[in-house]
Amino acid sequence: MSANSWLATGNFYTTYKQEQRTFFTSLDRSVFTFFLVILFVWPLFFPLSNKYMLVVDNILIAIVAVMGLNLVTGFAGLISIGHAAFVGIGAYTVASFCRTIGDSHIIITHFWPVLIIFSGLVGAAFGAVVGLPALRLKHLYLAIATLSFQMIFQWVINFMSFFNQGQTISVGRVFWFTGKVGRKDHYFFWYYIILVVVVLLGFGVRNLLKTRYGRCLVAVRDNDRAADAMGMNPGLTKVYAFALAGFFAGVAGALHAYLYRGVGFESFTLHESIGYLAMAIVGGLGTLNGSFWGPVAIKFLDLQVEHLAEIAGQYLPSSMNLATALKPFTFGLVIVLFLMFESRGIANWWRITKSYTKLWPFRY
Amino acid sequence: MSYFFQIVVSGIVVGSIYALAALGIVLIYKSSRVLNLAHGQIIAAGAFITYYLTVSIGVPIFFSFIASMIITFFLAMSVERIFLRRLIGEPIISVIMVTIGLQSILDGLIFITPFGTENFSFPAFLPHTPLTIGGVSISWTQLVGVIITFLLIGAFSWFFKKSTIGISMRAVSDDQFGAMSVGISVPKVFGLAWATAGLSAAAAGCIIGNITGLNFETLQAFGIVVFPVVILGGLDSILGAVVAGIIMGLIQQFASGYLDGNFGLNGTGDVMPYVILLIILLFKPHGLFGIHEIERV
Repeated sequence: MSANSWLATGNFYTTYKQEQRTFFTSLDRSVFTFFLVILFVWPLFFPLSNKYMLVVDNILIAIVAVMGLNLVTGFAGLISIGHAAFVGIGAYTVASFCRTIGDSHIIITHFWPVLIIFSGLVGAAFGAVVGLPALRLKHLYLAIATLSFQMIFQWVINFMSFFNQGQTISVGRVFWFTGKVGRKDHYFFWYYIILVVVVLLGFGVRNLLKTRYGRCLVAVRDNDRAADAMGMNPGLTKVYAFALAGFFAGVAGALHAYLYRGVGFESFTLHESIGYLAMAIVGGLGTLNGSFWGPVAIKFLDLQVEHLAEIAGQYLPSSMNLATALKPFTFGLVIVLFLMFESRGIANWWRITKSYTKLWPFRY
Repeated sequence: MSYFFQIVVSGIVVGSIYALAALGIVLIYKSSRVLNLAHGQIIAAGAFITYYLTVSIGVPIFFSFIASMIITFFLAMSVERIFLRRLIGEPIISVIMVTIGLQSILDGLIFITPFGTENFSFPAFLPHTPLTIGGVSISWTQLVGVIITFLLIGAFSWFFKKSTIGISMRAVSDDQFGAMSVGISVPKVFGLAWATAGLSAAAAGCIIGNITGLNFETLQAFGIVVFPVVILGGLDSILGAVVAGIIMGLIQQFASGYLDGNFGLNGTGDVMPYVILLIILLFKPHGLFGIHEIERV
C-alpha cells in the first residue's frame, strides 16, 4: 500500500473499514478542517452588511434543499418538479405553530431546534406520501405527479384562511443562551446555525452514500429491475428517497421561516422548484459537492444580473423592462449551456482539477 | 338544468382548447420522446405574433393567423435544431431541464417586449351577441374557436394517418433504428415534429387569445395546465389528448361551477385537474390511452 494516497494510482483498500473512512489521508483531513475553520471564522473579520449576509444565508439554505433534491433526483434518478413545495411544507409547519400558539410563544422562541427537526420530519412524512405514486409511475409520469403536488400545495396555501391566503405569517425572534437575538445580529446568528446544519447534513449524506441504503438509491437509479433481482426493494427505496428529500427540504423550509421571520407563499412556487432543479444540475447531479457548487453559482449569478440590470436600467428607456427580462433569460441560458456543454456540472470541473493536480506534471 | 348544460358547453369549449394545446406536446413526445415544458411560451409567442401582425402592421386577422403559424413553425424548428439536436440520447432529466431552460429564455425575450407585462385584446371581428340555444349561450368567438380547433385536430390526425411525412414520423416513434434502415432521416423527423407542434401552438395561442384576451401570465399558464391533460390521455396518443382535454375541461368547469363558494372552497377549477390526475395515475400509470412500455433488464 502506498504511503501517500495522493500519489497513488488506483486504490489499495484491504478492508471495508478502510473504504468507509471519511478522510483517506491526514492531509485530506487537515485541508478539510482548515476550510471549515475559514467558513466559521470569516464573518468575524469581514463583517458584511445585512443585505449581503442575507444572500449568504440564502445560499446556505438553498444548499440544504439542493442536497435533498440531489438525493432524490441525482442519486435515485426520480425527477421531482415539486421540491419547493416540500420546502414550503417545512416553512408552513413553523408558520402553523405560529398561527395556533402565537408567534412569540416559548416553543417558537426557545425550542426552535426541536421545531426545525420536527419540520424536517413533517417534510419527510409528506415526501413519503408524494413518493407513493413512484411505486407505479416512472420517468415523465412521475415528474408530472410531483408537479401536481406542487400545484395542489400552492392551491391549499392560497385558498386556506388558516395559512393567511398566502400572505406573510410572521415568526418571532429566537433566543440564544445570551438572550434574544436582535435585529443587528440576526443574519449573523443564523449564518452559524445554518452552517452547522449544512455541515451535519453534508456528513450525513456522505456517510449515507457509503451504506447499504445509499447504494440502494444508486442501484435503483441505474436499473430498478436489476436492483430488484439483486434482492433490493425498489419501491421502498423510491419512497424512502422521497422521504429523505422531504426531510432536507423541511429543514431548509423551517430555517427559511426563521431567517425571514415570516412565511409567504411566493418563496415556494413552481418557479422556485425549477430554481432548485437548476442548482442541482449546474452543480452536478449525483454528486455531493455539486449540491454546494450549484446554489453558490446560481445565487451569485442572480446577484450579478441584478447589478447589471440596475446599471443598464439607467441608460435604457424605462419602457424596456430589462430587470424582469434579464433574470429569466440568463437563468435559462446558464441551464441550457451547462446541459449542452457540461452536463455533469461544476462538480466535474472539480473532479478534473483534482485529477490534474494529482498527476501533474505527467499527463496520465 | 340550463345551468348544467351551460357548464357542459363551456367545459367542451375549454377542453377542446386544452386538446389543441396538448396536441403540440404529444406530437413532440411521440416522435422524439421529449417532454416540452416550454410549450406555454410558444403558445404565447404565437398569440403575440398574430396580435402584432394584425394591429401594428394591419394584416387581416385571418392572414396573420396563418402567418403566425408559419413563423412559429420555423421558430420551433430552429429551437430543435439549436438546442435539442445535441441532446439526442442524453438522460430524460437533461432533456426536460433544457426545455425548462428554454422556457426561461423565451420568458426573458417576451419580457423585453411590452407583451410581457401589459394586457391586450384582439380587435373583435365576430358578432358580439352570443348565440343562444334553449337557454344555453355560447359566444361567437368560442364557437368559431371550437370549430377551428376540431378542424385542426382532424387535419393533424389525417396528416399522421395518411401522409408520407406523417407515416415516417410514426415509424420513428415506433423504432428509430428500423426507421433509419428504411431511409427515413430521423433528425429531420424530429425537426418536423417540433415544427408542427409550433404550428399547433400558434393556432392554440390565437384561439385562446381571442377568447381570454392577451395576457402573458394566462397564456403561459396553459403550458403547465396542459400537462395533466397529456398525462391523463397518455403521452403518445393524439386521441388521448383530445379525450383527456375534454375530460379536463369538463372537470374544471364543473368544479368551478359547483364547488366554488359552496363549502368555503374557492378556485377549485385550478386544482381539480391535478387531483383527478393523481387519482387516475394510481390506477392507470400510463394514462388512458398511453402505450404500456415493456421494460427488460
